[in-house]
Amino acid sequence: MQISPETLFSIAGFPVTNTVVATVITDIVIVALVLIVSRVVALKPGSIQNAVEAIVDYFRETTEEIAGERASFIYPWVLSFFLFILISNLLAQFPGFESIRFQTLTSEHHGVPFLRAATSDLNFTLALAVISVAVTHYFSIKYTGIKAYLTRFITFKMFPILLFVGILEFVNEVTKLISFSFRLFGNIFAGERVMAAMYGLFPFGLPLPFIILEIMVALIQAIVFAMLTMAFMHIMTNKSH
Amino acid sequence: MEIIQKFGLEAKLFLFQLINFLIVVFILKKFLFAPLKKILDERKHKIEQSLQDAENVKIVLENASEEKKNILAKAKSSADMLMATVKVSIKETKEKAVIEAKHRSEQIIDNAKQKAATEFESMNKKIGIMSVDISGKVMSKVLSDLFTETEKQKLMSRALEKIDEKIKN
Repeated sequence: MQISPETLFSIAGFPVTNTVVATVITDIVIVALVLIVSRVVALKPGSIQNAVEAIVDYFRETTEEIAGERASFIYPWVLSFFLFILISNLLAQFPGFESIRFQTLTSEHHGVPFLRAATSDLNFTLALAVISVAVTHYFSIKYTGIKAYLTRFITFKMFPILLFVGILEFVNEVTKLISFSFRLFGNIFAGERVMAAMYGLFPFGLPLPFIILEIMVALIQAIVFAMLTMAFMHIMTNKSH
Repeated sequence: MEIIQKFGLEAKLFLFQLINFLIVVFILKKFLFAPLKKILDERKHKIEQSLQDAENVKIVLENASEEKKNILAKAKSSADMLMATVKVSIKETKEKAVIEAKHRSEQIIDNAKQKAATEFESMNKKIGIMSVDISGKVMSKVLSDLFTETEKQKLMSRALEKIDEKIKN
């Protein structure tokens, strides 16, 4: 059992792993979705537009309920996180993931999986976590001002209590990165291992309930990541906090 | 370092994922969310406009209904007033007609009384003349055997004069 993604081959020194391939497939699916929706987009929506509109509208309204007028710049990020993670997670439930093997120079006789869930790669989840936290801090500076932003972390009012609170805030930001990345990575990676075990035990019928469970996990993890990003963006862009 | 290696953290892969996601966000924002937001806002605007129009139509209808009620009330009031005036006019005309009829009947009665009196007087005269004539004839018959022609004439003229006087009185 390998935690890190398996390198399939290298292009100009860049290691192409099975999660990188899955990420590229996710990108293709998203671009295809964008192309399809942008082609059919009309005032009177069709079934595809209706489905996408429902998701977009849900996130926009939820963000508006939480963040009010700041929703316009928060929700595109939140929705992007949701769609990207959801599609990545759902793609991993398709046949071929883990089952199609690729023979590398260093791999054992049965090869390595050609495709692996992108979210089961810590590079992927950490990148998303870094973007989430960085964008949150960027918005915080932009909408509350640099002074208000810095006083969250460094203040000499009510010394030394608020100074200690500032240190805790800083620790909190580091914890956000770890919790964001490891929660998503851990859930998807663990799901993959469970699925592999089920397929190994009895591949006919037995994995079915676990596939349903994994689809639910895929959805829940996407929602959790997106909603936490939304909440943190709202908190960090709120002056009164 | 061993943990990082175990989890497969690699700077190149991390940067790839970072840049990849930023590109995805850009594509989604530019080509999916923006057109959808535009369409959703446009639809929302149209729905709001339609609701506003419906509200306006409702207000216009309510106003029209109110106006109709007012017009009907005014018409009813005018009709009532007209009816009252007509009733008064009819009553007055009726009273006037009754008075006129009464006056006319009194006039007719007076005329009739006057005519009757004239008739009565005329009849009296005629009866008087007839009675003088009859008395003359009776006396002539009675006195023809007792008196001479001259005496008869005198008596008769005397009696007739008396009768005439009586009648006149």
